[in-house]
Amino acid sequence: MNQPLTLDEAAAVVLDSGAELRAGGTDTTARRRGGVTRSAAVQIPLLPALHGITRQADGTTRIGALTGVAELSDDAGLQADYPALTRTAGALATPQIRTAGTLGGNLLQHNRCWYYRNPHFSCYRDGGEGCPARTGIHLHAAVIDQGPCIAPHPSSIAIALLSYDARIDVHELGTLNVADLYGDGSDPTRDHLLAPQQILTAVTLPAPLPGERAAYNRAISRAGAEWPLVEAVARVRVSDGIVTAAGVAAGGIAHTPLRLPEVEDALLGREPTPEILFTAATAATERCSPLPQTRYKVELLRDTVLDVLEKAVGVEAPTGAENA
Amino acid sequence: MDVTVNGSARQVGSEPDATAVQFLRETLGLTGTKLVCGAGVCGACTVHVDGVPKVACLTPAAALEGTSVTTVEGLRGKHPVQRAFAAHDALQCGYCTPGFVMEASSFVDRWRAEHGDTTPSRADIAAALAGHLCRCGAYEGIYAAVAAACAGAHDTDDAPPPRVEAMQKITGQALYTTDVHPAGLLDGVIVRSRHAHARVRSVTGDDKLVDLLPGDRTVRYVGQPIAAVAAETLAAAEAAAERVRVEYEVLPATVDPGLAELPDSPVVYPTKEERKQAPASAEGLLIPAKWNGNVRGPVRMNWHGGLALKRIEQARAQGESRRLVEATFTAEPQVHTPLEPHACLASWDSGGDLHLWVSTQALAEVAERAAERFRLRPEQVHASAVHVGGGFGSKLSLTSDVVAAAELARVHAAPVRVVLNRAEEFTDGGHRPGTRADIAMLTDDNGNLAALTLDVHGDGGVSVGSGVASLARFIYGNAPRRLRDFDIVTHRPPATPFRGPGGPPLAWALEQTVDETAHRRGEDPIALRRRWDGNSKRRALYDVAAALPLWTQRPAVGSQTGRFRRGVGVAAANWMYFLDPSTQVELTVEEGIVVARSATQDMGQGARSVIADVIAAELGLAPDRVRVDIGRTGTVHGPTSGGSRTTTSIAPAARDAAARLRSALAAKAPGQGTGGAVEKLLADAEGLRVVGKRRRDRLGYAAPVRVGGVIIGRGFTGAVHVTEVEVDTRLGHTRVTRVWGGIAAGRLYSPALALGQCQGGVIQGIGYALYEERVTDPLTGVVLSDNLEDYRIPGIGDIPEIDIHFHEEGFDHVDGGGVGLGEVCTLPVAASVGNAVHAATGWRPHHLPIRPDRLLEGLRA
Repeated sequence: MNQPLTLDEAAAVVLDSGAELRAGGTDTTARRRGGVTRSAAVQIPLLPALHGITRQADGTTRIGALTGVAELSDDAGLQADYPALTRTAGALATPQIRTAGTLGGNLLQHNRCWYYRNPHFSCYRDGGEGCPARTGIHLHAAVIDQGPCIAPHPSSIAIALLSYDARIDVHELGTLNVADLYGDGSDPTRDHLLAPQQILTAVTLPAPLPGERAAYNRAISRAGAEWPLVEAVARVRVSDGIVTAAGVAAGGIAHTPLRLPEVEDALLGREPTPEILFTAATAATERCSPLPQTRYKVELLRDTVLDVLEKAVGVEAPTGAENA
Repeated sequence: MDVTVNGSARQVGSEPDATAVQFLRETLGLTGTKLVCGAGVCGACTVHVDGVPKVACLTPAAALEGTSVTTVEGLRGKHPVQRAFAAHDALQCGYCTPGFVMEASSFVDRWRAEHGDTTPSRADIAAALAGHLCRCGAYEGIYAAVAAACAGAHDTDDAPPPRVEAMQKITGQALYTTDVHPAGLLDGVIVRSRHAHARVRSVTGDDKLVDLLPGDRTVRYVGQPIAAVAAETLAAAEAAAERVRVEYEVLPATVDPGLAELPDSPVVYPTKEERKQAPASAEGLLIPAKWNGNVRGPVRMNWHGGLALKRIEQARAQGESRRLVEATFTAEPQVHTPLEPHACLASWDSGGDLHLWVSTQALAEVAERAAERFRLRPEQVHASAVHVGGGFGSKLSLTSDVVAAAELARVHAAPVRVVLNRAEEFTDGGHRPGTRADIAMLTDDNGNLAALTLDVHGDGGVSVGSGVASLARFIYGNAPRRLRDFDIVTHRPPATPFRGPGGPPLAWALEQTVDETAHRRGEDPIALRRRWDGNSKRRALYDVAAALPLWTQRPAVGSQTGRFRRGVGVAAANWMYFLDPSTQVELTVEEGIVVARSATQDMGQGARSVIADVIAAELGLAPDRVRVDIGRTGTVHGPTSGGSRTTTSIAPAARDAAARLRSALAAKAPGQGTGGAVEKLLADAEGLRVVGKRRRDRLGYAAPVRVGGVIIGRGFTGAVHVTEVEVDTRLGHTRVTRVWGGIAAGRLYSPALALGQCQGGVIQGIGYALYEERVTDPLTGVVLSDNLEDYRIPGIGDIPEIDIHFHEEGFDHVDGGGVGLGEVCTLPVAASVGNAVHAATGWRPHHLPIRPDRLLEGLRA
């Protein structure tokens, strides 16, 4: 197969042959080696328009979809202006994955359910029937049950982009809100709503919010390199002691990455006291509908959100060393 | 498409699904780049693409077009971090080492460019190497090596490294079984059962299919080998395997150990004949026991068991809560996860001899079993295991990869290799059985142990023999005790021996119960153990441990109230001393060099270096005058590397051989006496050959019966570990921050390697304590945690500072004065973590691993 040289050619290959689009290849390659996906992979052409970070005249920032995760997490300008994005991107996976993986690939990767990724099982996600995780081991699954598939969405960058109300460009389709990539999570056959041949080309972030402070954290068992049980990101601006802007989102909790307006509403216009932060974080649990093995995630969601809120407004809990 | 690899122009194909690791290993033969996880998790395949470290397993080969690739071979052993890895012994088996070296070389270069020759923090190094996994646990050496290389300490050649083959592993030159690629090589693939229980009616498809079914044509777990096929490429062999049609008569299965004892549950081994084929997860002799459905046991190791039970029942009736501690402790199955999977390359020569390259820790044993299986004379099997990428107990027998490769090689009349993929390794590579331990411990009014009852149910799938409770016979004196082991068998993959079989789950239950007893008595847990434990070697360790600032300055149990809580716990263990009394080492003078041979192997524990060190010291030779050629049959008998027996067996035999060589050299040159420089005499002694033996220990052996080539010697080794944790009570994360490990195993042979092995044992214990959990689907028995993302082994960022203290006395009766320490060092780790978590939080964990969800649930209860 010849490498397509344009986006139209790549889309045509997908339509003709059933191939899957490949960006950095971290997920597409692993799925093929594991026998989860059988179709060929077709490389998205590395066009200049799909790569790089561009400040635009209207104050917004455009990031090409094939920009590497490490490129954006290490970018000094982004670190200054969009700290929620760079901290999230810098905390996911491992250095090599961040080097190989791309912004677009991170947003559109397939879920990590160990039933979906095990060739012994068939489920809604791979065109079959039923969800073996519901009747099996779903310790890592959703705590907000959006529909038949309970695999949490794996994209960390998506929650950061949700907290910014970022926009995305899709070749031949136009511009969407990042939330529109995912919908309501009720379709168990997919992890995003783009058709196989639709190519995500860029993400556009709104103009930076002066005075924004941000934090990202994930609950995991090891020091790193692990899919989060729960992850959360918070952007907060505090002016004269009052929260004047907030963007909060969480992952690991539902089939889609979720923005948490209920948390933001509990913060806006208020003084970020420990009590207010706790109340706001608790609001994150209102939507929870835990599965038998994910009840622990209700409080863990609250506490992960609380953690990033505290870090974002600068009232971190004392560490063990300071406490001792 | 053009690519530059290590400075040379190459052509890379444009097949869309080919990966860079395939291109480098298979097309170019650059086998320093290892394929381990295939998912970008472990970093073993890391190469530089235009100077940036990338995992070759996820990099499409086509994406290399126009780039410049550097593999570990391309560093040519000249990078300072390579010298640093050698000097700091930052490796054991070496299979992960090329990947670490590539990442570390990039980090060191960047660091020095940005910060000059300064030392980075542990956190800096951990962040840079977060995408790499080392199963042997050489992380302390890696930290030291990277820090020293950054500081400019290894810009010139160093002294010879403590590990004699270090540079071969660091440069990617060391050949493992997976790296051997003779002309005409075929790849073999095993066809495995898709059902947990079925009778196989027929297997059809490939005309050169080989049969791997047991005699009764019955499969008893998902993933059990049925047949194998081979083809010119792995992809073609996988396709051929898919074309094989297996007709099953599916039978009802028991795949949930929680349901195995129910009267209606299908029985795994309904007949006596079938029970005989049950594999064992115990090493050595399997003690006979009765069966009841899917329960085998009890196997008893009682000492006044009736009295123990009576005392405990009385105390329970009286409502004793201070003197009687009762609890149930569980542990999930732990998978060995050697980074080199089970692998074998087999070929038959024109004379009918079988040649095996095999990744094994039991070279001689595998060759013997292969001879039996293929009806050959022992000398017709030529086996090689020159470098072995880890074993930990999983590679002790004639496994299906060996049988499949040999059978396929015969039917194809070509060399065939069978390399398990990671999912197969996680399913059929073996595991430590899961356990449920019900324990009751009673103390008398003086705080002495009055009675102990311990029932342990092992969950080893189709395997039996998970002896855990039995081991409690040998610690804490002679108080009455009823100790019973049971196996619960299910239609799930077989457990195998794993580093100190039975020891870690015993310590998890026993040592937390001892801790709880001390806690309820208000007594220092070290002081209580010192009172109870009559072993003089462990008492010496308790004395050192009790004086550690880590211990004396520990926070009181449950005294902390903040989000992050610190706690310090202690746990102890003992282990048997095994040896192979038939061990020999052969020395031959070849071109002025002393070459040592024995049919043993080095799976990373350092056998090669131990032999080299002993001979060089005994003969006063420079390291380059000694070469150790192990990992091949065709020489004198050497030990299996299991039961911590290798060093104590080979080192005295090597010393004996060296003494004999000295005498033989002296006899050839009578004028020069025996005290002269041996090196000069070697020049005139070409071909001189001597064989040294392992001498009998003074006082003989504890059990003079030899089982599987092994004898139990006199005296127990000991370990006392003091562990500090920090618990994040909000997000449920437990971090081990310090470990002091006290080891009593007699005198050390190669101290740097002993240190590394014990640090690695501590790290595997941390994995068992906090992360590792083999998970199967409760309805089908399929292993879900069949990859390195879902099965979590410790990474470099999870590693505390580890101090190892060696107490070298107490084995003077042993030939050479030192015994094995590879198992005892890992046994009490999880228990010490559990006790530390209790000290930090006041909540005692009862289930391994101590996952965040379990911790949070416990703290909130």
